[in-house]
Amino acid sequence: MADHPNSVLLDLKDVSRSFAGIRALSLVSFSVERGTILSLIGPNGAGKSTLINVITGVYAPHSGVIDFEGENIAGRTADVVASKGIARTFQLEELFGSMTVLENAMTGCNGKSRSGMFSCGFALPAARREEERIRQEAIESLALVGLEERAFEPISRLPLGERKLVGIARALCTKPTLLMLDEPAGGLAAHEAERLVSLIHLLLEKGLTILLVEHNMPFVMSLSDKIVVLEAGVKIAEGIPEAVRNNPRVIKAYLGQEQ
Amino acid sequence: MRDKRHPSLSWALVVGVLALLPFVTPGTYVTGVMCFVALYATLACGMAVLLEQAGLFSLAHPTFFGLGAYVAGMLAANEILPPWAGIIVAAIVVALIAYLIGAPLLRLRGYYLACATFGLLFIVEIVLAQSGSITGGHDGLMGIPPLSVFGFTLGGDLDYYFISWGLCLGCVWFFSNLMKSRVGRAVKALHDSEVAASSVGINVPRCKLHVFVLTAIMASLAGSIFCFYLQFTTPSMFGFPLLTELFTMIVIGGPATLHGPVLGSVVLIWLREAIHVYLKDVLPKLTAEVDAVFFGILIVAILIFMPEGLAGSLDRLAHFVRRHLGRSS
Repeated sequence: MADHPNSVLLDLKDVSRSFAGIRALSLVSFSVERGTILSLIGPNGAGKSTLINVITGVYAPHSGVIDFEGENIAGRTADVVASKGIARTFQLEELFGSMTVLENAMTGCNGKSRSGMFSCGFALPAARREEERIRQEAIESLALVGLEERAFEPISRLPLGERKLVGIARALCTKPTLLMLDEPAGGLAAHEAERLVSLIHLLLEKGLTILLVEHNMPFVMSLSDKIVVLEAGVKIAEGIPEAVRNNPRVIKAYLGQEQ
Repeated sequence: MRDKRHPSLSWALVVGVLALLPFVTPGTYVTGVMCFVALYATLACGMAVLLEQAGLFSLAHPTFFGLGAYVAGMLAANEILPPWAGIIVAAIVVALIAYLIGAPLLRLRGYYLACATFGLLFIVEIVLAQSGSITGGHDGLMGIPPLSVFGFTLGGDLDYYFISWGLCLGCVWFFSNLMKSRVGRAVKALHDSEVAASSVGINVPRCKLHVFVLTAIMASLAGSIFCFYLQFTTPSMFGFPLLTELFTMIVIGGPATLHGPVLGSVVLIWLREAIHVYLKDVLPKLTAEVDAVFFGILIVAILIFMPEGLAGSLDRLAHFVRRHLGRSS
């Protein structure tokens, strides 16, 4: 259990994971406090996406504890982790390409809806009522990210920036407590990135906790409450943006590349 | 903009034509052939949902059709259960079998799943053929009584025509509801991206298993009705030739829709009837070879000229006509 169960939402203790003998994550520990935004940064191959995949259950950690709301979720499957209240977006979008924008968002409601195969197939009243509720929730999520106008368009017709927002809307439909954004600003134009920043502020105001993986440094520095820096699977620094920016190890490992 | 179409209108049209068909055609020939069309269409429809919507390359469909026929047929022929109860028991048995083999097999992907289910197809055919004392072996299962429900015996082609088309249209209706619902979205989602599907709380293995078992149950129902209609089954009816026929129906009709496989079944079975009728006198010994060559050429032509099948081309035509009419009025 965390020391302050009301303030710490996610607590990682000594999380490790290897792939074919290569340590992708080595004894990583940090915690995310409720209602805050924590950014995970590090050079390419540092293990940021692996860490997201380990937290969300795509991969099981080989050792360590992942405490979410007081429960160890390490090793649980992805759908179970999602049902606990952790949602995510993907670096490579991973949207449902055969569906419209609205259907993508509606699929996000799947874990929180119950109609079975037979009530759906026979279109029973209960299933139809639930379908209507799902549709409303999906439209609300799309409105939140500003995409309700594009609801009936196929995914393939949207530009990159809007596709990233569909991913966020889909994640919001799962009614998460913790939202993990994997490089949401990657490839975005300046005005799209600004739109994303105001969306993230809006989500924080709504009480969400956010874990952000991002390469865009100004973006990270302006948004984050806390930053964790990974290098080759090891945590090399943790702290407020100012402290991390001036940490010589971080400058050498990561920021140094850009200066 | 939302696409406002009227599916109820096309449903009414299809049901109307099918309801009148037996009464405007002479004799029972058309009605009898249309029974097979409906039962194969039911099979093809379920298989297309698995292949195209769920992305599960399973070839076990003829097997579930055959097991549905044999279980119901054996229970009725040996007077263990009345035929209607046999249909239900067969569906339950097939569902259990599909569940037990689906749980391990659906962990395989793509070609591996195809290979494993293809193996199952041959194993079941061989087991049915070799268990002569209970299944009748190669010679087939005989003595299956006609279907009877609460004292009414369904004897004629007309009765089976309505039952078969009732099942077929019922399955199409069920699937069309299902694919528009949360379950259908989950099925399409796991086809598009398994990792994203599980990230929104979809239990991917369970979802695959459920849709697999569902289509197996529908195949079993079609198989049971098939055996009571023919009152006779042999293992070879449910083997590799049926699988290729189902593929042909799906490709001709268009796999991406639910009405496509039904259309494919109508076209394949009636074209074959036509070939047999016209070639019977000209090339009496070659009809089987001729129809294999003919359907081979037809599949290639469809794949080249209408890759979305007849249903895809018809939909595009309807869209064009609607737009054209809309503009002139």
